[in-house]
Amino acid sequence: MTRVRFAFAALVALILAGAAGLVAPAPAAAQKPGGTLTIVRPTDPVSLDPQLETTAPGAWVYFNMLEPLLTIDEKMQIRPSLASSYEVMSPTKVRFKLRPGVKFHDGTPLNAAAVKFTFERALRGTPPARWASLAGPLAGAEVVDDLTVDVTTREPYGPILRTLAMYCTGIVSPTAVQKMGEGFSRAPVGTGPFRFVEWKTNTHVILERNPDYWGDKALLDRVIFKVVPEEGARMIALQTGDADMVLLPAPAQLPQLKRDPKYVVHEVVGGRVVFAGMNAAVPPLDDVRVRTALLHAVDRKAILENILEGSAVAARGVLAPSVFGFKDMQLDRLYPFDRAKAKALLAQAGYTPGPDGVLQKGGQRLSLSWLAARGRYPKDGEVTEAIQAMFKEVGVEAKVQFLEWATVFTQFRSAGFKDHMFTLGWVTSNADADYSMYALFHSKQIPPTGWNTSRYSNPKVDALVEQARRNLNQTEREKQYGEAQDILAREMVWIPVYNTKEIVVTRAGVKGFTVHPVEYNLWLGKVWLDK
Amino acid sequence: MAVDARVFDRAGATAAPATLSADAWQRFRRSRLAMVGLVVVALLVIAAAGAPWLAPADPAKQSLIEKRARPGGKFILGADEFGRDILSRLIFGSRVALLVGGLSVAIALAVALTLGCLAGFAGGFIDVVIMRIVEILLAFPYLLLAIAVVSALGPGVLNTTIAVGIWGAPTATRLVRGAVLVARDSEYARAARALGASAGRVLIRHVLRNVLPTVIVYSTLFMANAILVEAALSFLGLGAQPPTASWGLMVSSGRDFLLVAPHIATVPGLAIMVAVLGFNLLGDGLRDALDPRLRGQL
Amino acid sequence: MLTFVARRLLLAVPVLLGVVFVVMLTVELIPGDAVALMLGEHATPEAVARLRDYLGLDKPLMVRYAAYVGHLARGDLGRSIQQNRPVVDELADAWPATLELTVAALVLAAAAGVAAGVVSAVWPNSLFDAVARVGSLFGLSMPVFWTGLVLIVIFALWLPWLPVGGTGSLGHLVLPAVTLALPSVAMVARMTRSSVLEVLREDYVRTARAKGVAERLVVSKHALRNAAIPILTLLGLQAGQLMGGAVLTETVFAWPGLGRLMVKAIFARDYVLLQGAVLVFALAFVLINLAVDLAYGALDPRIARQG
Repeated sequence: MTRVRFAFAALVALILAGAAGLVAPAPAAAQKPGGTLTIVRPTDPVSLDPQLETTAPGAWVYFNMLEPLLTIDEKMQIRPSLASSYEVMSPTKVRFKLRPGVKFHDGTPLNAAAVKFTFERALRGTPPARWASLAGPLAGAEVVDDLTVDVTTREPYGPILRTLAMYCTGIVSPTAVQKMGEGFSRAPVGTGPFRFVEWKTNTHVILERNPDYWGDKALLDRVIFKVVPEEGARMIALQTGDADMVLLPAPAQLPQLKRDPKYVVHEVVGGRVVFAGMNAAVPPLDDVRVRTALLHAVDRKAILENILEGSAVAARGVLAPSVFGFKDMQLDRLYPFDRAKAKALLAQAGYTPGPDGVLQKGGQRLSLSWLAARGRYPKDGEVTEAIQAMFKEVGVEAKVQFLEWATVFTQFRSAGFKDHMFTLGWVTSNADADYSMYALFHSKQIPPTGWNTSRYSNPKVDALVEQARRNLNQTEREKQYGEAQDILAREMVWIPVYNTKEIVVTRAGVKGFTVHPVEYNLWLGKVWLDK
Repeated sequence: MAVDARVFDRAGATAAPATLSADAWQRFRRSRLAMVGLVVVALLVIAAAGAPWLAPADPAKQSLIEKRARPGGKFILGADEFGRDILSRLIFGSRVALLVGGLSVAIALAVALTLGCLAGFAGGFIDVVIMRIVEILLAFPYLLLAIAVVSALGPGVLNTTIAVGIWGAPTATRLVRGAVLVARDSEYARAARALGASAGRVLIRHVLRNVLPTVIVYSTLFMANAILVEAALSFLGLGAQPPTASWGLMVSSGRDFLLVAPHIATVPGLAIMVAVLGFNLLGDGLRDALDPRLRGQL
Repeated sequence: MLTFVARRLLLAVPVLLGVVFVVMLTVELIPGDAVALMLGEHATPEAVARLRDYLGLDKPLMVRYAAYVGHLARGDLGRSIQQNRPVVDELADAWPATLELTVAALVLAAAAGVAAGVVSAVWPNSLFDAVARVGSLFGLSMPVFWTGLVLIVIFALWLPWLPVGGTGSLGHLVLPAVTLALPSVAMVARMTRSSVLEVLREDYVRTARAKGVAERLVVSKHALRNAAIPILTLLGLQAGQLMGGAVLTETVFAWPGLGRLMVKAIFARDYVLLQGAVLVFALAFVLINLAVDLAYGALDPRIARQG
């Protein structure tokens, strides 16, 4: 009875409010400037200078202080940033027109010389920038006039625009670099909506609003990035109000946070694929039937639901959907979870059940060695263990060795890598298929040169990938990558498991935040606090 | 026969049995806490030996859909994040616990007794050198030690246990040396020497006996530490490899779920505590029982 | 005694040099290269080789060791490979936090542990004794992150008395110090109980009692003095372990200390930074051991005579 009365009252109130709204102009979603946003994340940056730091802890911070020529928006489209327009002059040269009147945080002007300085420093500095290896055949920048700069590559490079939109290619103030020397890495000077205030190692980094920003000024007064290594403690900090925003939240708590109106869970599919890799050079994984059987043996849905619990989505191929050139490989259709099929394929390949349930052929047990690290990617250890158990169900024994990352990394990079299986994650840093396809599947990229740890070799795929890399016609490139992925789909050397989701949890009072598919692009320029 | 002041023991005590061991056993039996310790340790050994028959389920069998099941019903003590039965894993895990606790202590003690006695007894230059080596080892980060051992020998519980044993050796050595220094110059030892006993006999009978209580107490405490250190190393990937059940690893992997399914980490943690308690009570009981100064007393 | 101290400090030098060498050698022998790890998945082998050359890391071990020692003599601890920052700066950021936490935990452990141990020894097998033993074992057996998170939930979430983590005020120090001290309290209490019990059974104690000396005096003057040696040894060792083992506590409570720094350095194979941190610890150990040995001498003059 009371419920009906309450509903009626609410309805009346709603009508009145609506009427009031029609009469008096409602204020626009009242963006309140001011306030401090406290963000907690697990690790401290190594440096705030892209020269020395390309990983997320540093990138999250400097992304708001240093801006590249171009940027990628949340829909993965290239947008102008410090460059207001560009023109492809030749397959190896792109001309950029810079925005006039932009100033660095130290008051010096942004001009072509600054762009040239940034690239020189990155490519030919002592030592060169960490991100130089990400930039492919980037050659440098030439000054045309004060606001016009030509960026050149050593050979035609299809991904050039996406490369120049990467978070780590932000333009730095030459004056500041020359004046501060090493100190620049601890207090960078750029053009972004926020500028540096202080960095207390392993404790926090503080940024403040840049009042002279060329675009829409930031609404927040300050941003504090705090280090809280323990996942549980981060979540508790959110609950006590010690933190407004949590990066890398606990997946197990997401379901209840989503139901709680006090918090908002922002999520979007990211750019990383985590997979169980197969070494196609070591028997029996050189037999495509065995590899196919293994693919059929894995219940990816169960892993996604029970281990990742909504913190990731099923991988639909070897690339993430946000990557340019992505093609859905239809893995659920090509390789559905089917234990019977897996067993049948293994029988076809000549395996019969042994005395303890493990398959064998010619007296040899079907025992695979598996090398992995724990904690490098979300739930990588758990995913590995789950797949190990699933393999057991079809008679394949997997001997997992967990070692720490430094050891595992070294082994993956060595020419003598003899393990059958490995667990790895790969993020397409510049969101362009070339970055993954070339490094992971080209036959010339077998370790120690590159990352083709699976030792995959197919001349057709090699040719397609090389062509696409040199082609500046983006439509053609997309077709070429599509063909390459079709071929790969028929002779899979990976068991792709999931695409990470970029997940950020905030208190409901944090507004204006949109999470970006590229994990490094943590844009705080539009965030405001409704307190 | 050496003059023994304790001949003048109090009257009223029950007639002292003839042999030391029977006497010790009687004293041991009388202490309720010591018996509790014995029972706990015995249960542990039984669990370890009879694991395949005692465990209700296959400790490696996963059932993802039943992940993190609460205790009760099908999973008496609940299920872990893979839907594996915690009770079964607990029972199998007792093997790892005994191995880790026992072997690491044995290694640490072997080193400590050798070096500690040598340093304490010989004194002088040898003492200085040994103690400096101990200091170097103490300063050496144990994580690096574990990585080094694992790199050389491969991962796995056995090799990590060796690393833990080596890690515990310097501390134990210092303790032993300290005890030896005290005992070496006590009146009893001097009296024994004055009465003509050789240095060797003095060492064995008096000094070691003095060292024993310290060693027993430290060992039983070190065991808990050892299991926890193995847990941390396993979590980093250096110890127990999947799907081996190790209590320490169960606790470590339960860390992520502490706020949603606390039983995953807490149950094995309690198992560790009970085991450590058992060893401690047993150790205390042993020490009390073997102390001849209590001979004839209750 | 001054010569004793001087000699021990002089002896510290080979210890420090020895530790540095062993660490350097170990990092050299285990798989993993600092530069390759730093540059990550994206680096080409040429880029890695170039950077190694630039940083002088391709020189043979003994050359690097000699160079390091040379710099060390001038007070230069080198530059962290990963951070490209002087190691001295890195350490300066971290060691005050570690010192604060270690001292707090040690004081707590000593006070609570000795008190509990003495009471247990004076009334052995009593209810207090049983509760103390089981309770302290609980603190010893449950891992740090468990006790830490439980304490945070109780004292920061349910009862909003204390902050979740980080440094700043005394309030920030409470939970991490308690968490870190708990396992030590157990050890100290047990060792104290055992030592004091031992001593209480000694002849001279019985003599004192027979002479009619008050029990309190018996315990404090006679028993504790002689029981002190193993307790002191343990405290000295606990101090070292609290320092080195604080990494888990630092992680749970976001405490910016040396423990986390060292672990990060190990995973990154940044041996320069690692050596700097290890040197700090080694020096601390040497000084603590020296203090303990001096205390031995004060408590038991017979030992002082050998040094």
